[in-house]
Amino acid sequence: MNLKPAAINVLMVGLGAAMVAALVHIVAILVIPLYASRDAFARLSPLGPVNATIVLPQPGPQARLIPFGDPAIASSFCRYDLSAGPLRVKAPADPSGFSSLSFHTRRGSIFYAITDKAATHGMLEALVLTEEQLRALTAKDDEDVPVTDLRIVSATNSGFVVMRSLSEQPSLYPSAESAVRALNCANEAIPE
Amino acid sequence: MLVKALIACVIGLVVGLWATAASLRSGRGFDAATIGAWTVSEKAGAPDADPYTRANLERSGEIPLAAGEGLQFIARTDDSGATLDPRCVYLVGHKTPPARYWTLSLIDRQGFPVENPAGRYGFRSSEIVRGADGGFVIAVSASAHSGNWLPIGGKDRFALALRLYDSPVSATAGAIDKAAMPRIVRESCL
Repeated sequence: MNLKPAAINVLMVGLGAAMVAALVHIVAILVIPLYASRDAFARLSPLGPVNATIVLPQPGPQARLIPFGDPAIASSFCRYDLSAGPLRVKAPADPSGFSSLSFHTRRGSIFYAITDKAATHGMLEALVLTEEQLRALTAKDDEDVPVTDLRIVSATNSGFVVMRSLSEQPSLYPSAESAVRALNCANEAIPE
Repeated sequence: MLVKALIACVIGLVVGLWATAASLRSGRGFDAATIGAWTVSEKAGAPDADPYTRANLERSGEIPLAAGEGLQFIARTDDSGATLDPRCVYLVGHKTPPARYWTLSLIDRQGFPVENPAGRYGFRSSEIVRGADGGFVIAVSASAHSGNWLPIGGKDRFALALRLYDSPVSATAGAIDKAAMPRIVRESCL
């Protein structure tokens, strides 16, 4: 009859352990994205300063910075910081192939994306701003002049813009690369 | 009593962290959909992605495609459910869901292309050799194969990545019919 208390002991410890395990697991999963030491932004940041356009190496066995890249796609990025003012993003869209711009927050979630289909006069253009900057800008808008800007609100001050361009053939990769090299990111004056 | 609580805490901590690591290794969140051999995470990178998808994204460091840009499907098994084996020959093909462009490439478990003497890491829809009916077959094998040959470099487990660019199915990836996806059929093994 000595077995019974022992079994209860083991059961209690097991139950306690299971509860602690569940708690640790849930907390860990929720905390990892906040920690953000290995995410795309953390990997891209050392490559260059804010606003600089940096062309990523063609995905291949040797390019081991960003996984799940497509070897057919040339990509470039620029980091932004909206505390210096709204960000004007310009990129030429090659009408013959696929190209796109995606807008990522510091935490890596995508808050907007456009493809070459949205291009006007062969250019993809957007203005990334904070909620506050948008309010200031719309207050200044002339009611008689339609707004032609594509205005995109970023929830965070910092983040990054990625440009992708698909090469239709392996031999066309260099031209896709020169297309993404033309990505241009620059801060505009903060609207008063 | 204190000792027991301590033991429970230590075991709980170890099991909890192990479960976390294991769930991240599996590389899929709650919102991943399975279509035949292919899995797709519809909400990778979306602001309303589930916590597992977010944690996975942070650890892998990948830059996901936005829904408006395209979709990425990963297959780690063939159509029968058997893990892709570098000693086997697989035929992938006939069709993909509609998209302006698609690419099929071979990746290792971390998501990088695998070194091979041919220097061929994937195929684009715009360069593939097609049959008379417009369908295609890509042979995935270690040794050279006629037609569209995607070499398996290395001896480790690999996966196939199918990317659709500018696809009307992006918003409803989970609802894609299995028959619309490329089949992965094991042809022979060494």
